[in-house]
Amino acid sequence: MLQKSRKITFILAIISAIIGVMLTVQLRSSLHPAHKESRSIAELRTSLQKELEKHKNLLADISKYNQLYYQYETALNEDESLSVMKEELARNRKMAGMVSVEGEGIILRVVDAQVNPAEAGLDGGMTEPVIGGYTIDDEDLRWLVNILFANGSQAVSINGHRMVATTPIRYVGNAIQIDTRTIQPPYELKALGEPDVLLSALKLEGVEENFRLANKEIIAEKRDKLIIPANREQRPIQYMKPVKEKGES
Amino acid sequence: MWLPLIGLIVGIAVGFMLDWRVPQEYSSYLSIALLAGLDTIFGGIRSYLERTFNVRVFMSGFFFNTLFAAGLAFIGGFLGIDLYLAAIVAFGVRLFNNLAVIRRIVLSRWINQQE
Repeated sequence: MLQKSRKITFILAIISAIIGVMLTVQLRSSLHPAHKESRSIAELRTSLQKELEKHKNLLADISKYNQLYYQYETALNEDESLSVMKEELARNRKMAGMVSVEGEGIILRVVDAQVNPAEAGLDGGMTEPVIGGYTIDDEDLRWLVNILFANGSQAVSINGHRMVATTPIRYVGNAIQIDTRTIQPPYELKALGEPDVLLSALKLEGVEENFRLANKEIIAEKRDKLIIPANREQRPIQYMKPVKEKGES
Repeated sequence: MWLPLIGLIVGIAVGFMLDWRVPQEYSSYLSIALLAGLDTIFGGIRSYLERTFNVRVFMSGFFFNTLFAAGLAFIGGFLGIDLYLAAIVAFGVRLFNNLAVIRRIVLSRWINQQE
């Protein structure tokens, strides 16, 4: 009897030990669930990804509809501003010499001076350039162009080469180059501007006298309609970029 | 009499030292098994108080109940039937039933002693 009850208590002890283990395991699992966090984090990540995507799509929708709304609301204004921009662009292209322009102006022809009959026989033809002696050089042309620009001329060309702000006139070898193109005499300058103003300015600066020293004569003509071609030079923008002002935008 | 209590304490200590953790999806099976074990324990106490305690019935009840409860819950999970709910309800009802019987027996004995 005693042995039996001991056996029973022993069995009961074992069973209670098993129960204890189960209890603690259950307690621990429910307090700190194994792998629960990582798994739920992965799930959360995927769901977060989905939600973010949805959010992005919704934001895109919003911006799309906002843009549409803006377009509808400012359709008139936009038309106006677009035309203003186009005008501005056209103006800038004109000023930069990228388009051919026409208008009233003057033509200056630098030709050999009408010399005395005796000298004419020596020098040869009237329109032939003077070889030797004092010739027209780049300095003279620069001076002339500067006078024209200084007196309100908005477009100047020399022998069909449009002058822009960065156009060089230089003496290379035995010829004058404008941009990278060599020009040969007779030189013909076209300038758009008030013809009378330009002519009087030339007179005032003493252009005729100066050129007469080189045995040249300037024949000036007023024209009501003068076409000045576009500048044909390729000008890649390399050394400059616009400075962004702070505080803007 | 003290041996089962010592066994329980030892079991708890071992459980803490082993540091087992049941993954989340299996924790319901363990809880079912635990519930079945508790039910068996209280059933054993009740039968002891009613003097109908049989160690074989107790032992077989403990192991079979725990294993079958967990196994049924597992199969239910496979089949998509929440059998563990049925097990929880059944064992819970039995547990409270046993507790009520134990309480009555203890109370009546105490009243008898007083008288």
